[in-house]
Amino acid sequence: MSIVVKDVVKRFGNHLALNQVSVEVPSGALVALLGPSGSGKTTLLRIIAGLETADEGSVHLHEEDAGDLDVRDRNIGFVFQHYALFRHMNVADNIGFALKMRGRPKKEISDRVNELLRLIQLDDVGSRLPSQLSGGQRQRVALARALAARPRVLLLDEPFGALDAKVRKELRDWLRRLHSEIHVTSVFVTHDQEEALELADRIVVMSQGRIEQIGTPDEVYHHPANAFVMKFLGQVNLFHGRVEDGEVVLGANDKDAVVGYVRPHQFEITRHPIGKPSWPALVVYVNAAGVQVRIELRLTDDDRSLEVIVSQDAFRELALKTGEAVFVRPKEMKVFRDDVADYAI
Amino acid sequence: MEFNKSVREDPWYLRVPLILFSVLFIGIMVIGPMVNVFAQGLELGLGVAFAAMAHPHALHALRLTLTAAVIAIVLNVTFGIAVAWAIARFRFRGKAVLTSLIDLPFSVSPVIAGLIFVLLFGAYGFIGPLELSPVAQRIGNTIILGFVGLVLAWLNSEFNLLSFAFRPRWARLILVLGFAGLGCIQPVTDLDRIQIVFAVPGIVLATAFVTFPFVARELIPVMEAIGPEEEEAARTLGASGWQMFWYVTLPNMKWGLLYGVLLCNARAIGEFGAVNVVSGKLAGRTDTLPIYIEKLYQGFGAVQTASAFAISSLLCCLALLTLVFKTYLEWKNRQYLQEQVKKEAS
Repeated sequence: MSIVVKDVVKRFGNHLALNQVSVEVPSGALVALLGPSGSGKTTLLRIIAGLETADEGSVHLHEEDAGDLDVRDRNIGFVFQHYALFRHMNVADNIGFALKMRGRPKKEISDRVNELLRLIQLDDVGSRLPSQLSGGQRQRVALARALAARPRVLLLDEPFGALDAKVRKELRDWLRRLHSEIHVTSVFVTHDQEEALELADRIVVMSQGRIEQIGTPDEVYHHPANAFVMKFLGQVNLFHGRVEDGEVVLGANDKDAVVGYVRPHQFEITRHPIGKPSWPALVVYVNAAGVQVRIELRLTDDDRSLEVIVSQDAFRELALKTGEAVFVRPKEMKVFRDDVADYAI
Repeated sequence: MEFNKSVREDPWYLRVPLILFSVLFIGIMVIGPMVNVFAQGLELGLGVAFAAMAHPHALHALRLTLTAAVIAIVLNVTFGIAVAWAIARFRFRGKAVLTSLIDLPFSVSPVIAGLIFVLLFGAYGFIGPLELSPVAQRIGNTIILGFVGLVLAWLNSEFNLLSFAFRPRWARLILVLGFAGLGCIQPVTDLDRIQIVFAVPGIVLATAFVTFPFVARELIPVMEAIGPEEEEAARTLGASGWQMFWYVTLPNMKWGLLYGVLLCNARAIGEFGAVNVVSGKLAGRTDTLPIYIEKLYQGFGAVQTASAFAISSLLCCLALLTLVFKTYLEWKNRQYLQEQVKKEAS
């Protein structure tokens, strides 16, 4: 294990930012800390880095208790959300900073800087100031700077948060490739579930200072541990109901109340009722622009809307128009006993 | 001069009066009186003016004024950086109180500032006169001049003061040690009086007191605007506290610090009220330039008056010199940035 966080508690005044959090990160892994803002994910990252100290619990880096280690002795690379490049230094000096602080000879520093500039595909910007770079370039320089001293652990705080969608996607692919090349143990914080699902080997889902689930992207998406994870990892439609003889019955909301969750693509739309359950509904809105078609339905029985996603092929076959009456059937439903309180992103 | 589009398109009846008003106001309020000072100083000829400036008492007053200003700057830079750091980077109880206390010298009358020290260190004061042994005097001199060397080395490396020399680290060290050594061997400041009030230490204290908000006031907003991220980045990259300060914090706040020092210097050189109370006005011993001017002006005869204005011109020149120095640094820095861009383009 490269990073072992055990029972960490952190308070800011009366606010409990982290409540008994334990995480293990294997060597060479790329782990995402995923959660809404205020879930404590950035605090956890800063505690691993040594920028904050835990009130209780311990952090081990490579079997070594990091509790007494100062930030500078932890040998970590940290990439800040807003880059935090040294604004008065040019790109080369920024990247070479860690080696300069370690008193390495000038030749070695400039060799390493050139090597890293090649790695981030910015060979010719060494003498520019950070203010002369685009957001994506700055983020790559920040990454190169963090990697310069060959850290044992790379920590990234919302690394793509401040970038526009296209650059974000490019950088994401690039980081994935980079990680498969240099295999440094990495932890990144994000509130974007898509980013976490696409990039990470393992995802740690957090909310309100607690860990909700740890697992591979496949596990957390297809087998969410609770309603929060289900809701946070993608859009869902909610159905209230109760359990009767091991079967879920929708509607009537009293004892043994449960909540069923269906993702938009887990519905089937038909012209005629097939199987059970199959609910009559009206087509309210259709948006066919994109890879898939987004359809808003209104259930005829209890007047609520459903969000459904179907493939372009299926949509063409059905030839749906707004106002038409159809039947909708959930192909799969996740049921949790307790609904969690609403959260904000 | 280049105007942006919206200004250029403003109607003439708005543009012309505004420009005229600004020029007139500065002419009447600033340039006119300044020219008058020089004119009156030269009324009885260059000879009288130079004689007034070359008078031993005048020279002593000049030296004392500069000494007090330098020590006040040293104290206030140290204090200003410390307090700006504390306020911008830490959360603690009483921060609001501390922030408003910094402004105290702005709101308190300089006369009261002077009286504070008389009541503390005067012959019958709360603490009374302090003694400064010759050894302590030398140590003080060494520290103060060493700091001056440090500031010069920093100015040189940050603002590219001398483009040709003093760039490497050893040159910086020599500059600092050289100045410190000078202070050790030859006391260049007048820190030898045993008492504080009616003596040089009192003047220095009063000057430092009335000028201490300048540096801190300039630095707090600068440090708050920059934020702690770059400093944290430096720490994660292996910088020690001192390295972080020298390579990241200080270069980031250099313009704020420079303006603070210049304001502090201008006020320190011109301070009259507080110094007037503590100095005791002993000619050739505790007269600063403003006090010396006041005494000359109160004296009888045309020569006295002309001398007062001649020395006022000297004070004006010091102020202008500060302004020129500031402009030079800004120009130098711009040139450096342009060079960087050019280097990159080629």
